[in-house]
Amino acid sequence: MTAIAGGNKRRKEGIMQNKYDGIDRRKFLKTAAVSALAAAAVPGRLTAASFQADSLQVWSCGGLAEAFNKANEVFEKRTGIRIDYTGAFAAALGKSLLGGAKTEVFAGRVLKLTQKLRKEKKMIYFRPLCFTEYVLVTPKGNPAGIQSIEDLARPGLPVILPLGASPPGGDAVMGILKKARIEKAVLKNTVEKETCVIKTMPKIINGQGQASIVEKRLTRMADFEGRVEVIPIPETLFPPGPLTFTIGVMKYAGDRALADHYVDFICSREAQELFARQSFIPAFSERGRTLVEKLGVEDA
Amino acid sequence: MSTPLTWLRRAIQAGMLFVLGQWSFYGIFRCPYPVPFVDCQVCPVITCWGRITTLFWGFWLFIPLSVILFGRVFCGWFCPGGFINQLIGKASFFKLRVRNRMTKMAPFALLAGLGVALLLWLGLGNPRWMVPIRIGEFWPAIGLSFEHASPFWLVRTFVVLGLVAAGLAVANLWCRFACPAGGLLEWIKRIALFRIYKTPDCNDCDNCLKICEMGTRPDEANCTNCGDCLRSCPVNAIKIGRKRG
Repeated sequence: MTAIAGGNKRRKEGIMQNKYDGIDRRKFLKTAAVSALAAAAVPGRLTAASFQADSLQVWSCGGLAEAFNKANEVFEKRTGIRIDYTGAFAAALGKSLLGGAKTEVFAGRVLKLTQKLRKEKKMIYFRPLCFTEYVLVTPKGNPAGIQSIEDLARPGLPVILPLGASPPGGDAVMGILKKARIEKAVLKNTVEKETCVIKTMPKIINGQGQASIVEKRLTRMADFEGRVEVIPIPETLFPPGPLTFTIGVMKYAGDRALADHYVDFICSREAQELFARQSFIPAFSERGRTLVEKLGVEDA
Repeated sequence: MSTPLTWLRRAIQAGMLFVLGQWSFYGIFRCPYPVPFVDCQVCPVITCWGRITTLFWGFWLFIPLSVILFGRVFCGWFCPGGFINQLIGKASFFKLRVRNRMTKMAPFALLAGLGVALLLWLGLGNPRWMVPIRIGEFWPAIGLSFEHASPFWLVRTFVVLGLVAAGLAVANLWCRFACPAGGLLEWIKRIALFRIYKTPDCNDCDNCLKICEMGTRPDEANCTNCGDCLRSCPVNAIKIGRKRG
């Protein structure tokens, strides 16, 4: 009786164990072997098969485009999922999204925009993605001997600023100058108010201007890398608005699991390294974590 | 009348449409500047053909070389826009293959187009008039471009598209009367080493004019050295090569 009872107990425990694990060892090994074979036969398709959709629509702030391009390439290669990516001025994309345009994942700039999308229930959730920072750029060799932002106020120094650029481009630069209390003097020195932040760079490279204020990411673009001197600006002068980038899943996500998986990947250390290479501050980094706290980048 | 030379030209045009067509598409629909193809090196649109290939610099070296050799040959043989305009022109209501004051004034209209482009580019610094869709899917990117463009960009784009569409009324209207690049080439084409020209034997029968897509005669305003007219002359007065005298 005791032996039968013991056997039943073990069998019961076994069944319970199976229920708990969902699959027994033999089955697991079999499945793993078949999966490995399938994965080896069709590289990159294993993950694709586990999602309903074979593509994902992603919109992001245009400033992140270079980093997203690289990250998307890795994701596509690994999963076999096609990323239909659009990178453009975040405020414009945000306006479209608030107006009725649809995308499945949105990586926007300026926390307020993301919060508005959440408030209007167009976005399901968001996570901090990365941060940008502003720097001074001068022609190679720094002929005017610029040491700090205060030097931009030096009488007669030709400065080129992207003041005509769409927000936050021009506004952010003005914000920095105002915080440094040198805006009047620098505006006097401004020989050109550029309409496009990217167009500022060649003019500094060829010496038309001796200094400018740009986002650090511009100095890492292929056409400009290593062609200007980069001087840091104290973080205390940065206007908080344009510093923050977030990524969130929209309510239009056709395959929620896929959208979540993509956001996880973009926020992973591996993908964030790609953003760091473009001079963004990853949210997972120590500095990023400090900024997350300081700027209150959290989903309600 | 289609000669083997015309077929060769069509094949080259189709090839160039394949090579440069994307760039033309971006120039009209995605370029954030009023004058496309001149600021590609600083353009924020990452996926534009002018940015992702070395065509930007190659293009600007190729055109002067082509002018030195064969004048306005780029318009007739290589320009994707020209090809599209010529195809539209096939269905046009007025072919305008006549010699009158209006057709004689064509180069001046082209120069006006060139003047506007130069003013916008060099005079106003080619300001950014549209939120650049740096990367985007085909239709959504066009939609977003129009949605977030300034009224200036919209006017510029609708004027260009309108003039191209007007090619359905008057054949090749854009190429003959409006294109700024055509205007520039028309203006400097006299420096060409080789050209298609009329000899003194020409009897003004205008057979060449009647088959010309640009509504002109050899070596006159708007002639692009396309060669369609080479076999049209009843007195064999159309030649190709160096014109003497």
